[in-house]
Amino acid sequence: MKRAILVKRNDPRSDEHKNELQMLELKELAYSAGYTVVAELVQARHPDSRYQVGRGKVEELARIVQGLNADKVIFHNPLSTMQIYNISETCRREVIDKFQLILEIFATRATTPRSKLQVELARLEYELPRARTIISILKKEERPGFMGLGGYENSYAQDVKNRINRIKNELESMERDRDSLRSLRHSKGFSLVALAGYTNAGKSTLFNSLAKEEVPVKDMMFTTLVPTTRSLDVEGRNVLLTDTVGFIEDLPHWMVDAFRSTLNEIFHADVVLLVVDSSEPVETIRRKLLASHETMWEQLQEVEIVTAFNKADMLTQEELSERMLALEYLTPNPVAISAKKGFCLDILKAELRNHLPKWKRIHLSLPLSEEGMSMVSWLFREGVVHNISYGDSIDIDLEARDAVINKALSFAKKHASPS
Amino acid sequence: MPVDCYAYIRYLLYLQKMFNIIAVDISGRHRVDGYYLMVCAAVAASVTADHIEKVHQVHIRSFRSESAPDVPSVVRIMEETVSEIRFGGTIVTEPGDMYNKPQWLVDSMFSGNFKYEESLSERLCMQLAHHISLSARKLLLRELDI
Repeated sequence: MKRAILVKRNDPRSDEHKNELQMLELKELAYSAGYTVVAELVQARHPDSRYQVGRGKVEELARIVQGLNADKVIFHNPLSTMQIYNISETCRREVIDKFQLILEIFATRATTPRSKLQVELARLEYELPRARTIISILKKEERPGFMGLGGYENSYAQDVKNRINRIKNELESMERDRDSLRSLRHSKGFSLVALAGYTNAGKSTLFNSLAKEEVPVKDMMFTTLVPTTRSLDVEGRNVLLTDTVGFIEDLPHWMVDAFRSTLNEIFHADVVLLVVDSSEPVETIRRKLLASHETMWEQLQEVEIVTAFNKADMLTQEELSERMLALEYLTPNPVAISAKKGFCLDILKAELRNHLPKWKRIHLSLPLSEEGMSMVSWLFREGVVHNISYGDSIDIDLEARDAVINKALSFAKKHASPS
Repeated sequence: MPVDCYAYIRYLLYLQKMFNIIAVDISGRHRVDGYYLMVCAAVAASVTADHIEKVHQVHIRSFRSESAPDVPSVVRIMEETVSEIRFGGTIVTEPGDMYNKPQWLVDSMFSGNFKYEESLSERLCMQLAHHISLSARKLLLRELDI
């Protein structure tokens, strides 16, 4: 395992508890990326334009890096290119910030062509505003033309832009395919449910419990990067459940944009199943819920949300109800569950069922004939038959989407016995 | 934990899931023709975590100042606008409107309850207040030929 040193600059008089949580999260991210954290360094001050932290602190960092033989320095605060250059010059080690760390994790998890393109797009979007400075630093000894007018910088930035456009076009065409697949699934009577929530909330565990699947589950951030979809029967309704990438606090807009086609699985769902790790302290849950609301709010349109308070088996009833009440303003339609132990998944399914797109419910009379029986078996496949009785005719209490109801009604009308 | 317990907790939560808020937004915090012409909009609504259930009242008010508003002035402008609202509720704003000051600091300046936007419904309400204040200010500028 590679050895990393974590550094964080806190604003003076900022919330200490929040700072601690952020450092803890950075530690978890480093662990997810395969690093062993050998030291942590914190400084409270306003940002320094050259080093982010103070110059003295960077010199102290350089000594620690040498002493502990660390491979990398990871900053919580976003770093400018000049800051990265200055710090790595002093420490003689590679220096990255939190977003580059997330990109590193994504790069190791990306397995499908789409996810690989998304990761590359995110990396290029991150690099673009820095492209000119990077080349300027790298080529400072070597300047083309009279007084070096920056020919390299422009051509490199242009290359990055061209590559971004090419990837965006490719992703758009993939997204069109996903759109038509989504429409096809809707027309076949499937409702779409997407799991959303902060990273490491237990989305994949819940996915496995609901869909009886075996997608990889780890106590690690960003285990899932590539969405997985499985069909599920929710009280008679066919549902496609999708496990997606988790959210994280302060996710920059370029990263949301890069992963738009994955996040669209959430934004275009009929119901979003928002998963919360209820075993954490209230303030932590609130912060994570806030990050989820912030990521989703501009994109969600007329989507129903059901909140699953996961890991509820780790709390007493009092603790659980206290947390749920304290957070009810952020948690639509809450249900307490334990995905790992399978507690209350039936209540969750019932709640999901209540929020699926409404189907019409009608009473229908079909002839007791071979054609009538074949229609009945089709209706069993396409809708929910609440009640059926066989007498002179077949009387059905049917719930189904409009297309199925219309077809059944026109069949009933066509085959109605003349009176 | 038995299934009934969870169902009971859910039942409890069903009973109390509506919140009354007043979303407040100010447009025009920049100098035009030598002074600041601002419009403050307040939207009183009942919301759940993800939906606006009912908009009770909207109130707009214009303010003129020769200097840029600081946090106490923003608080005064908001309180004056909200005083015309007949419904109670927690005042909700965007952190940027309060120069990203910590919530506890701003909360102590208001006479009623105050918080920054958090849930989807609060953000939607803020969006509504923002569009109202922006449109009202545009209308005002047009009427004043500015």
